[in-house]
Amino acid sequence: MQQIELMAPAGNFESLQAALDNGANSIYFGVEQLNMRARATINFTLDDLPEISKRCKAKNVRTYLTLNTIIYDHDLSIVKTLINKAKEADITAVIAMDQAVIASAREVGMEVHISTQINITNVETVKFYALFADTMVLSRELSLRQVKKITEAIEKEQIKGPSGKLVEIEVFGHGALCMAVSGKCYMSLHSQNSSANRGACKQNCRKKYTVIDQETGFEMELDNEYIMSPKDLCTIDILDEVAESGIKVLKIEGRGRAPEYVARVIKCYRDAIDSLENNTYNKEKVVSWMQELEKVYNRGFWNGYYLGQKLGEWSKGSGSHATQKKVYIGKGVHFYTKAKIGEFKIDAYDVSIGDTILITGPTTGAQEMEVNEMLVNDEKLTIGSKGDTVTIPLDFRIRPSDKLYKIVENKVEA
Amino acid sequence: MVVITLQRNKCIGCNYCVELAPNQFQMSKKDGKSVLLHSKDKKGFFTLKSNDDVIFDDCDKASKACPVKIISVKSI
Ligand code: SF4
Repeated sequence: MQQIELMAPAGNFESLQAALDNGANSIYFGVEQLNMRARATINFTLDDLPEISKRCKAKNVRTYLTLNTIIYDHDLSIVKTLINKAKEADITAVIAMDQAVIASAREVGMEVHISTQINITNVETVKFYALFADTMVLSRELSLRQVKKITEAIEKEQIKGPSGKLVEIEVFGHGALCMAVSGKCYMSLHSQNSSANRGACKQNCRKKYTVIDQETGFEMELDNEYIMSPKDLCTIDILDEVAESGIKVLKIEGRGRAPEYVARVIKCYRDAIDSLENNTYNKEKVVSWMQELEKVYNRGFWNGYYLGQKLGEWSKGSGSHATQKKVYIGKGVHFYTKAKIGEFKIDAYDVSIGDTILITGPTTGAQEMEVNEMLVNDEKLTIGSKGDTVTIPLDFRIRPSDKLYKIVENKVEA
Repeated sequence: MVVITLQRNKCIGCNYCVELAPNQFQMSKKDGKSVLLHSKDKKGFFTLKSNDDVIFDDCDKASKACPVKIISVKSI
């Protein structure tokens, strides 16, 4: 079995660093407006490309630029600019759905990956896009059996991309699913004029809805009102079967998620992929990975369509079912390199010995640890409160204005 | 007087403002974002002050349609 590439979301430098620190093989990210998270304020800018490329190259991590919205005429020149800049910065590939983007990328010799919005569901379509692309995401609604048929055909018929290598198949491994056809949806557009296909999804399927019979006014009784909000996809418990299907890339969703989300999910899947590789993947490990994954944002988990299930499983609420949450405590002030001690200023709440803390920052990523020792205003105390300066021994470096959080239990509604 | 402001850096280039107020907005071919014609830039906020009150309605429609709510239209 060939090693699966673990692909991580990077919405900003914090998440990028978290992905790098926790074992991602590749990252995907958006720049400016033409990507599926155009609304987010956390997108990178064109000027960030060289830094993204540099940090990833140092760790031998591949970089994919998402350019996967619908494209209008007035976008064509920015598409070219983005692709040229990406090429200049030596970004590995462009993730595309529009033919104009595919053509522009091929023109300058950039590797192309076909995004899920193209909805590839059969091997003839794989053959067609193999003229332009080396990696393809299959439609989300395929079962693993169907995926396997496609990967076997690629092997048997030697379907190769422009690079001369066999086409690689990518699937979603973990994260939010929506009820739309593989990323194409008109719901936000119809209700709020905000096109998901331009990266402006308002997530209004995540709400409660009631079904009313217009003639009688009768309200349908639904035992779960979140009828359009599927649970999150999770494949860590079926990763052996996913790997068996012959896929090469496992994509983790979540460019809008916090860095600690990226850190934890990537860490679990890294561990799971490595366990498959060295034959130590087992039920006990799955249980502990699931517990870890439940700690961060999720709407409840299911296996998606991979095992042939056709009807969705719906989420029980609008928000997260995460078992943990973070509480803001303060900011980083200084790092004493020799002594390996971090100094923090507490702005809110308090921190005690025994607490699990999280430190995030653009270069620090997302680092979690337990506090075993600390000084509060240069005194050995067990609790630091608002206004205090605390120093904590750390085995990683922090930077001024990194954010300090405390991880606490999150009461989840049953 | 009508005062229109566009917070341009947040534009996702969806083109709705141009469809609704084509005399005031145009899509830039350079960066794919909307341009508020004849406006003045102040730290990314592009403002147009006009004595022509008839432009209010179209611009107001554009402002309501903008999915990222970056157009403001005031009549003073
Ligand atoms: S409607 Fe808003 S987001 Fe769309 S092009 Fe105009 S200003 Fe930009």
